[in-house]
Amino acid sequence: MPNCLVCYKWTLDEQDIKIKSEDLSLDSSRAKGKISDFDRNAIEEAALLVEKLGGAVAALSYGTAAVKQSLKDVLSRGPEKSYWVADASAEQADATVTATVLAAAIRKIGPFDLILLGEGSSDLFNQQTAPRLAALLGLPCLSFVNKLEVEGDVVKATRKLDDSVEVVTVKTPVVISVLSEINKPRIPSLKQVLSAAKKPNQELTVADLGLTPEDLAPKAVRKSVKGFVMQRKNIIFKETAAAANVAKLKESLASLGLS
Amino acid sequence: MANENEDKFDAIVVGAGPAGSACAYTLAKAGRNVLLLERGNSAGSKNVSGGRLYTYALELVEEGLYQRAPLQRKIVREQIMMLGAESAMTVDYFNPAFGGNDAEKKAAQSYSVVRASLDEWFAGEAETAGAILASGQVVDGLIEENGKIVGIKVGEDEMRADLVVAADGVNSLLGQKAGLFPDASSHAVGVGVKETIELPDSVINARFGVTDAEGAARVAIGCTDGISGGAFMYTNKGSLSLGIVFNADQAGKQKRHIQDIFQDFKMHPAIQALIEGGTSVEYGAHLVPENGYDSIPKRLYRDGFLVVGDAAQFGINTGLIIRGMDLAIVSGLAAAKAALKTTSPADLGPEYMRQLDELLLMANQKAYRNFHHIFEINRIFHGYPELANDALQFLFTVDGKVPTPMLKGLLNTVRKHASYGQLAADGWKAFRAL
Ligand SMILES: Cc1cc2nc3c(=O)[nH]c(=O)nc-3n(C[C@H](O)[C@H](O)[C@H](O)COP(=O)(O)OP(=O)(O)OC[C@H]3O[C@@H](n4cnc5c(N)ncnc54)[C@H](O)[C@@H]3O)c2cc1C
Repeated sequence: MPNCLVCYKWTLDEQDIKIKSEDLSLDSSRAKGKISDFDRNAIEEAALLVEKLGGAVAALSYGTAAVKQSLKDVLSRGPEKSYWVADASAEQADATVTATVLAAAIRKIGPFDLILLGEGSSDLFNQQTAPRLAALLGLPCLSFVNKLEVEGDVVKATRKLDDSVEVVTVKTPVVISVLSEINKPRIPSLKQVLSAAKKPNQELTVADLGLTPEDLAPKAVRKSVKGFVMQRKNIIFKETAAAANVAKLKESLASLGLS
Repeated sequence: MANENEDKFDAIVVGAGPAGSACAYTLAKAGRNVLLLERGNSAGSKNVSGGRLYTYALELVEEGLYQRAPLQRKIVREQIMMLGAESAMTVDYFNPAFGGNDAEKKAAQSYSVVRASLDEWFAGEAETAGAILASGQVVDGLIEENGKIVGIKVGEDEMRADLVVAADGVNSLLGQKAGLFPDASSHAVGVGVKETIELPDSVINARFGVTDAEGAARVAIGCTDGISGGAFMYTNKGSLSLGIVFNADQAGKQKRHIQDIFQDFKMHPAIQALIEGGTSVEYGAHLVPENGYDSIPKRLYRDGFLVVGDAAQFGINTGLIIRGMDLAIVSGLAAAKAALKTTSPADLGPEYMRQLDELLLMANQKAYRNFHHIFEINRIFHGYPELANDALQFLFTVDGKVPTPMLKGLLNTVRKHASYGQLAADGWKAFRAL
């Protein structure tokens, strides 16, 4: 019966983020939070494993103060308990910082047989948190997993790579990052939503975890974020003869230095 | 939560619109164990665009509550527009008194609101007061025992409560399931298309002649392709809400799509000038109860079950004012008050009706009872707006030619659009409706 942990990120829903036309800055004032897409698959996979094999599943997240908003949602998706680290450093954290915080938390609340994460977060999609976490914990890491079977302490995972499919077996404990095709995350039922309100959650502070300001400082500091907008020229050529249109197009491209 | 039996609540409120949230908030504040269910992923997510909220309703729920609400601009300009083919006549009534009195901390009479944020806020207030809010939950059935409604169904899950409140909006599934009324028939409802267009506040202020905190509410006729109905436009912070409400019956018989008629409205030179340069951020269509008092179902309750808001067809539309949210809030409050006041299920319904009277909701509905007959005068939507524009064109035209004598010219204009007989008949109809 595996003792599982899922790590997830509380991100802004990218659909709600707007790009301001004046300066291409991002307006996230009306953006709602969500559990990062692939992490939802990780949570679902852990919940399915435990529903089938017994065992337990807990959830862990590191984020800004907003991470508290995620508790009801994550607990309605299967985990029996959630741990959360809320710290302003998460705003600037890179995968190294995130993995450092998660590893410190896992040392405190672990050990776990299976540690599941999404392949990448829906905002930054660095795909680095799982391997870095595994390295810090000294555990094997299986990434790109789209099928998972667990028997006793043996994990059999199918990894979908660029040019091949690899089936590997490994003994627990192990860190696994999953792809979105591994399952279809549930829409929590009313009973699951209501039971979430009664499940325990526990805050871990960076001080509890013995983390220093250096641990929480990213190597690369993000100075600004700007949106990308495709600028269309909106030129329509309306000559009757196709050749005339082509000539005009050529002229237009030349004037833009594109020929 | 002082609740032994996890599947039983004091009240389950279905729908986190203004009606449901007002009800859940009031019950939760009084210590009742309330579950508020919403099918959208968050409250307000199913309610596109904006509207105007008459503040008195929130004041009835709790004095000062409006100060916490995400209100947009206080409405100090009431504008009426009559559109001709290219021209437009606008009446602009400015009254700073409508903006309330800041020194005495008096609320403005009405504010523009954006539903997505208003609904989310109000549901959040209910949650803070102790209600449990579960969104993404579509209630698809009622549990009935011995002639009493004792709970609801969401897919496989059942949940029980002493009271179920149907606040599920204009085409109330729950009211139908409870056997209180049939499907909303097309002559009792209007169909609305609405859109939100973002514009910088400085542009909105300049175009509507308002300051940052103040706003304008505008209605327009002569833009519905002859269908009974009218347009509305509200100024928000950083956006405009605009739309048209059509008589659903007539719109259904029309060849043209109402979206196309709405598009024409936006392209009218007088409207285009107001929205130019803006970005459309939301677009949607929705039904609206329109027939007023006579469409309110005979029975709005059963044992253990109350119907509030649009679900109960509460609504007033005079062409100049559109009211629904305020009546929804008042009825949600009335339901909560009734539940707090009674202990026996048999007393609940009658007490709810009494509360609706006491809070003057029914009196308001009755006062406008015959008003919608005025919309049977088809020339209001096609004829008279053009007449008004032609008359003004006549009065303002100077081209060096010999002008037609004033009276004769005006009478000619009138006769072009309606006969004296038609005018008399319409006048009589309007007189009776008023
Ligand atoms: C174009 C247009 C313009 C309008 N302008 C104004 C205006 O300016 N001022 C004004 O006061 N009124 C206006 N109204 C009317 C106003 O929108 C309604 O009267 C008001 O929203 C009614 O509130 P309610 O809470 O009863 O219903 P709604 O606001 O419709 O809320 C019902 C809620 O129930 C949820 N729900 C429905 N079924 C279920 C289910 N089975 N399970 C779970 N949840 C469910 C819905 O998702 C929704 O959130 C306008 C209406 C339209 C269409």
